Amino acid sequence: MTSTAGVDSRILKAPHPVPGAPDNWKRFFSFNTDAKVIGIQYIVTALLFLLVGGLLAMIMRGELITPEADLVDRTVYNGLYTMHGTIMLFLFIFPVLNGLNNLLIPCMIGAPDMAFPKLNAAAFWMVPVFGVILMASFLVPGGPASSGWWSYPPVSLQNPLGHLINGEALWILAVALSGISSIMGAVNFVTTILRMRAPGMTLGRMPIFCWTALSAQTIQLIGLPALTGGAVMLLFDLAVGTSFYRPEGGGDPVLYQHFFWFYSHPAVYVIILPVFGVFSELFPVYARKPLFGYPFVAGASLVIVGLSLIVWVHHMFPSGVPQWMRDVFMVTTMLIAVPTGIKVFAWLATLWGGKLRLNTAMLFALGGLFNFVFAGVTGIMLATVPVDIHVNNTYFVVGHFHYVIYGAATMGVYAAIYHWFPKFTGHMYYEGLGKLHFLLTFVGTNLNFFPMHPLGLMGMPRRVSSYDPEFAFWNVIASLGAFLLGVSIIPFLLNLVSSWVRGPKSPANPWNAIGLEWLLPSPPPAENFEEHVPTVISGPYGYGTGRPLVEHQDEIERALLQA
Amino acid sequence: MTSTPQRFFWPRLIGLALWLVLLTLLSLWMGAQVPRWLPVSASSAAPLVDGLFGFETAVATFVFVGVVSVMVWVMLFNRAEKYDISDAEPIEGNTTLEIIWTVIPLVLVMGIAAYTIQVNREIGLIGPMDHSHAPASSAAGASVPGGEVQVIARQWSWEFRYPVAGVSSTELHMPIDRRLGLQLESKDVIHGFYVPAFRLKQQVIPGRSITLFITPTREGRYRLRDSEYSGTWFAANQADVVVESEEAYQDWLRRASRLPLQPGLSEASREYAQQLSGERGSGYATIAPAPPPLVNVPGSNTLPHDG
Amino acid sequence: MTISPPLDAPPTPQGQGHQAAHANHSLTGFIIFLCSESVIFLAFFTGYAVLKLSALQWLPPGVEGLEWRSPLLYTLVLVSSSGTVALAERCLSRGQLWGFRAFWLLSMAMGAVFLYGQAIEWRSLPFGITSGSFGSCFYLLTGFHGLHVLSGILLMALMLQRSFRPANYAAGEQGVIATSLFWHFVDVIWVMLFLLLYAWS
Repeated sequence: MTSTAGVDSRILKAPHPVPGAPDNWKRFFSFNTDAKVIGIQYIVTALLFLLVGGLLAMIMRGELITPEADLVDRTVYNGLYTMHGTIMLFLFIFPVLNGLNNLLIPCMIGAPDMAFPKLNAAAFWMVPVFGVILMASFLVPGGPASSGWWSYPPVSLQNPLGHLINGEALWILAVALSGISSIMGAVNFVTTILRMRAPGMTLGRMPIFCWTALSAQTIQLIGLPALTGGAVMLLFDLAVGTSFYRPEGGGDPVLYQHFFWFYSHPAVYVIILPVFGVFSELFPVYARKPLFGYPFVAGASLVIVGLSLIVWVHHMFPSGVPQWMRDVFMVTTMLIAVPTGIKVFAWLATLWGGKLRLNTAMLFALGGLFNFVFAGVTGIMLATVPVDIHVNNTYFVVGHFHYVIYGAATMGVYAAIYHWFPKFTGHMYYEGLGKLHFLLTFVGTNLNFFPMHPLGLMGMPRRVSSYDPEFAFWNVIASLGAFLLGVSIIPFLLNLVSSWVRGPKSPANPWNAIGLEWLLPSPPPAENFEEHVPTVISGPYGYGTGRPLVEHQDEIERALLQA
Repeated sequence: MTSTPQRFFWPRLIGLALWLVLLTLLSLWMGAQVPRWLPVSASSAAPLVDGLFGFETAVATFVFVGVVSVMVWVMLFNRAEKYDISDAEPIEGNTTLEIIWTVIPLVLVMGIAAYTIQVNREIGLIGPMDHSHAPASSAAGASVPGGEVQVIARQWSWEFRYPVAGVSSTELHMPIDRRLGLQLESKDVIHGFYVPAFRLKQQVIPGRSITLFITPTREGRYRLRDSEYSGTWFAANQADVVVESEEAYQDWLRRASRLPLQPGLSEASREYAQQLSGERGSGYATIAPAPPPLVNVPGSNTLPHDG
Repeated sequence: MTISPPLDAPPTPQGQGHQAAHANHSLTGFIIFLCSESVIFLAFFTGYAVLKLSALQWLPPGVEGLEWRSPLLYTLVLVSSSGTVALAERCLSRGQLWGFRAFWLLSMAMGAVFLYGQAIEWRSLPFGITSGSFGSCFYLLTGFHGLHVLSGILLMALMLQRSFRPANYAAGEQGVIATSLFWHFVDVIWVMLFLLLYAWS
């Protein structure tokens, strides 16, 4: 099986990479049940939708470069920002994180695959399905949904053409399918982590990424059904004419806001927790030091899960909620700063006195941390009621959450992609292109999203297609930043494609990292460790301690070098 | 950096202390810059909000620059040599430090929360104190509880009615230094009543009547913006707020009550008419704007405004 | 260490040990799913309570209240079917396959009777799903629960059919346990629903 000449035709059609044989790329277009194939399917699909969502964002920034609504019609602009938000959340960030979960969780805990491989594949294939449904809504009469990604009634219930098939209905359908797909994924990830760990891998020896994934998926399981319930009622109101939210029939439009935010605020933690996991994995590797305070970092994730479920009303301070509710939810929101602070300080302490190697992955992780801390301090401002009342629904909020979701989460995802790229493709990426990508992304992010803060403080509402001339200056800068971010994708894609096709071969452990996934060949075989699952004998991140992670570590490493 | 020899201890401590002093000064300076980023403050609530925001900006600057300086430090001085693949000193944690950086942030955010609740109370006494009323209970009586001005939001126009004076307008006039009750109602979807210069915002919810109390403190012309996305012409749903002396306000009411009714301002209706006549391109199907309300005073929404 | 995957072997392990382990995961996964599913009902219940408490006029005009006697009867049928399901499981664990089938079928029939009763009630009601918030909530809650009863009956039919496969339940009966858990879940939800819709007025 080592020479490619005269290979068995079965090898060429193998559903998994076979060492020494040409790669069968067609497996990525099939109903493959291997978590590593599904992971790459998720990530590639998500990156395609990142391009779509990014394109919509650049049209929006093109519109906003001048105060008048002159580039596109107002209705088109409203559709653009609605679809931008929906695509970026449901078709980019959630799928890309599920891709990382699929690649990393089984390898990190020493499982052969996910607990339910078929369910896993089904959950993935729902993503392109609802992606197509969402894209198709651009083509229906009346255009796509255009009531924002919150879809607050009664605006979302207004159906100018009166058709049953309209953008809003397709939007709800797509979001519901996304929810079902995510619940299927969450059941799978949680079961896998709880039931399929390698011998000796107690919860207390699990890598932080798995802790954060477990926490994030728990939130999905608790929060998503609430949103689904709320969305079902919205669909009934829209399509059948029921009165859950319609004021004229006795419904309450604010009720929807509660359902929506009960899920959609915790959803932010579904996004950011795995990125915390990525930071916690990368900093020890590239600082050559153990993670500072492992049990505290792991425990902080669980505290965040608990708190995330009792903060949602901070999105509704101006919705006419009573004063006592404002105070209570402000305090719970503030408390989230404590476990988050524990993590940030743990990372700083990990870096402190380390031996830093600033490759692309590490640069993205550091850049992501920089942006995250900025988003964190503006988050505290937003938690305090009087300040929130002023900047709620202004560009200040838009700037804040783009720092979280692009500045921290997406940059964390880039860091993860670079860091584990050699492991799962078997090829090294090009550092030069990677560093160019980092530079453009970091500058673009801050140029694009920082100006939104002064704009919000001045009182520019979000979601506007035109604005008063006093806001023009910062908007021009933000638009330039957006175009720079658009450009930043080019070296990234170039790097991924060219490295995968003809990048230098990667050894099993190019970063000299500690973890079960690095005791597998690159790329790992279909069933990971198969029958030879190593027994874990110590906690993760033993950099500099000289303690082996698993039994017979030397033999495994020697075998990997020979292969 | 294996272990800190004694002779490096004092210089380092002094350096750290100097840096903390510098950081504190920077934070205080940033906190003082806050008024430059905000619109003029024109209500009794505004100075309280600005004070809180200035305090938060100072704290935020301290935290952010503090964290970033650690990152910059390690990136400058804790880099691995080019071919050095050895590990650093393995420090796996320190419970004392964990307790310190749990307790200090906890105390800090609870302090901010306590300050905020205090500000909330003060604003509640002089400012908003919104009360909800079910429509059935208030629609019956002409006397509006506490509300001197009725604010009616539509897709996409603002109408202001002064029931006692029998005046209606699409420009909001308010007397200075008096607590004025605004009764917010929506005829269709959720809108947001937002005057940045007042630092106040309230959703206007169909099926509810919400009274918002504001005390303007500065004469001038300010912008009222719809802050809750309300459909196609959401961005154009703006009106002006004129704060004037009590005499000027009463004078305006008197003059206005004598003027005949005419269509008020509605940027949406104007653009929609242009679309229908083909002067302006159109996009996807839209809900048609409500006809402009008939008012005594259309006012203006194009004059220069202070914030 | 061998790292090349066997080409002829299917991607999922087929060994006896693996299979038993997988079945165990299924039950874990199913319980996690049920917990998650209960949140949807919780959301609907909360929505119902909020709308009811804040409503000025809750019942549609001309409707005095819901007739509760015959729904109570059907409730008793549904709740006692939880008992017959438990009996069926006990038979199965003792290896009495025919006893299992009999009680299992009885539970299915009781579920069907419940659905029939609900259909009759729906047809006799003087209000529809568009008659204000109450009508919307009533039909949504009962309809969504009815869908669960129907899924439960279908799941039971599947398990019944599997009991005819030779030695199918020799290694364990995870599917039956999961189905009966689902059935108990559906029953508990109905009791809460009955209290909310019929008793609380």
